[in-house]
Amino acid sequence: MITPIHLRELYRYRDLILRLAWSDFKLRYKNSILGFFWSLLEPLLMLLVLYVVFSHLMKIQVEHYQLFLLLGIILWNFLDRGTSMGIFGIVGKPGLVQKVYFPRDVLIISACTTALMMTLLEFVVFVAFMAIFGVAPTAAVLYFPPIFVLLFVLVYGLSLALSALNVYFRDVQFIWRVILQAGFFATPILYPITIFPANLQRVVMANPMARIITDSRDSVLYGVPPAAGDLAYVAAASLLVLLAGYLVFDHYEPRFAEEI
Amino acid sequence: MNAVVEVEGLSKTFRIPHEKRATVFDTLAGALRKNEYEVFNVLEDVSFSVNEGECVGVIGENGSGKSTLLKVIANILRPTKGKVTVRGRMTPFLELGVGFQPDLTVRENVAMYATIMGLSNGMIRDRIEDVISFAGLKKFEDAKLKNLSSGMQVRLAFSTAIQTDPDILLVDEVLAVGDMEFQQKCFEVFKRYRKEGVTILFVSHDLGAIRRFCDKTLLLSSGRQVAFGDTGEIIDRYVYGGEGRERAEKEGDSESSEGGGEVETSPPEAQRDSPENEDEIRPRRWGDGRVVITDVELLDKFGARGSRFNSFDPMTVRIHYEAKERINDPIFGIAIYDEEERHLYGTNTELKDHPIESVEGSGHVDLLVSRIPMLSGKFLLTVAVQNRDCEPYDWIDRQYSFEVVPSGRDAGIVEVPCRWAK
Repeated sequence: MITPIHLRELYRYRDLILRLAWSDFKLRYKNSILGFFWSLLEPLLMLLVLYVVFSHLMKIQVEHYQLFLLLGIILWNFLDRGTSMGIFGIVGKPGLVQKVYFPRDVLIISACTTALMMTLLEFVVFVAFMAIFGVAPTAAVLYFPPIFVLLFVLVYGLSLALSALNVYFRDVQFIWRVILQAGFFATPILYPITIFPANLQRVVMANPMARIITDSRDSVLYGVPPAAGDLAYVAAASLLVLLAGYLVFDHYEPRFAEEI
Repeated sequence: MNAVVEVEGLSKTFRIPHEKRATVFDTLAGALRKNEYEVFNVLEDVSFSVNEGECVGVIGENGSGKSTLLKVIANILRPTKGKVTVRGRMTPFLELGVGFQPDLTVRENVAMYATIMGLSNGMIRDRIEDVISFAGLKKFEDAKLKNLSSGMQVRLAFSTAIQTDPDILLVDEVLAVGDMEFQQKCFEVFKRYRKEGVTILFVSHDLGAIRRFCDKTLLLSSGRQVAFGDTGEIIDRYVYGGEGRERAEKEGDSESSEGGGEVETSPPEAQRDSPENEDEIRPRRWGDGRVVITDVELLDKFGARGSRFNSFDPMTVRIHYEAKERINDPIFGIAIYDEEERHLYGTNTELKDHPIESVEGSGHVDLLVSRIPMLSGKFLLTVAVQNRDCEPYDWIDRQYSFEVVPSGRDAGIVEVPCRWAK
């Protein structure tokens, strides 16, 4: 659980967290010729396809649609990667779980950190695109870092619960893929939330990811500070997920080494 | 003396389902049937404590719970019942090279493994060159680990692992891998750790190593704590007492039944069909039977019958005989062979100048071995009684066996009494 003692313990393992995250990051591209560049090319290729389809065929009229789309994809990708890597955080490292001791959530934090490293690279591309399209950020962009921190907390909380459940039920990894697929379309990534009527908007915005993406766009692209209520909602949701994540994780953690 | 590892009433139970339910579907489908699983008590009510700077050995047959005990102490497994308290920084050597990634370079792997073993980044930076050159892999530092031989990988893992400076060290059979030279290196490192006052818990089958290194020893049998105390005493109990072995014998464990009591006591005829001698037809027993050897007992230093002995310990070979009529001047003899049936030693009452005037009825003759000179291994014994003209009354050829367990570290088959001087 998130007690001060546990946080201090995690801090003692910071070297291990970073080292694990960094080696996983390197391993991902180890045998590919383009290496790290895949991390940049992947969202760009995705962007190209979606941009062609949605701006020309479906005639969506949104200001800076390329950037609108790219930011949405990057943030969703972080959720997707973070949880997909997190879900294998325990079952993917049986040697570490069965032969040495360290707090097991170290593995989950490091998986999420690997995803974070990839996302940071994508942000480099995003900044370059902003410059190319001549979109200058305003002071409202300062709201973005805290929003992103909340997103990280959300991803970490989900990964904790998913990784622990996945040790006992390997179905979780497949079910979660389906949920992510559906979520990609149910979240305003390709389209603005305004295409829905007001009552449906409320339903869609119950999803914290919808608010995170909408608020990020507002603060980064359109210079609009997010509503305080929105931020509070996202913060509450993320912390709740983190708490639930730890409850599930701590419940299953004692028998990881036996069940893996 | 303050205890740094305290184990109180520790029990560990594994539940082994008959049918593993790893998916939600299995669980749903299986919910209708009764959930059957085997409850397996790996450890039962184990209690002991280790003081600072002590080296404690853990011995027992395979499956007696030694490794599980280390894992529980290392906090990898949680106790089902009881409590484990550890004070100080602990490093487990349960396996060498945990977390090695075949696709990373030697250098990256050293850094990774060292971090897992608890070294800080600063220490790794200072020592990484030493580690790589100690492992003799300077040339390969940027090669991928998967391109190294497994021997090189073990060397690399070992030279990384010994960089840690723990207060408490858990060692599980690490020494079992690797060649003589590697084992020698391991011993030197553990000696260094001991000198530095590191507390060590050491699981091994190598009783010689346990005897040399450990102040105290814990003997486990089927998860139960048989004894804990002074190493010499505990090893004697293990070797001579038959304690910690009942389970293995019940299951017909090949190792213990081969050298076990059955071989000696079973009448030689019973073994006539054993496959190893099918091709070679050699009589196992002959003689005119005027004196019959009814039994041969091997007695340990406590006077108890056994088949396992520490090297350098005393042993008594007791030959029981029966003579229907009075026989004058019989000669009793023995011969010892190694497992390849090479003749190592033989003697008899005549050669030892111990004439026996006559035998009648039943009785026994003892051969007192004051110090078993063999270092380790399994040995075969021939026992015979004959007359002055070398005509045997009863000759039982290589039908008895015993096992010698190492006490020291000298190499070879037999001890040559010697010492160094300069």
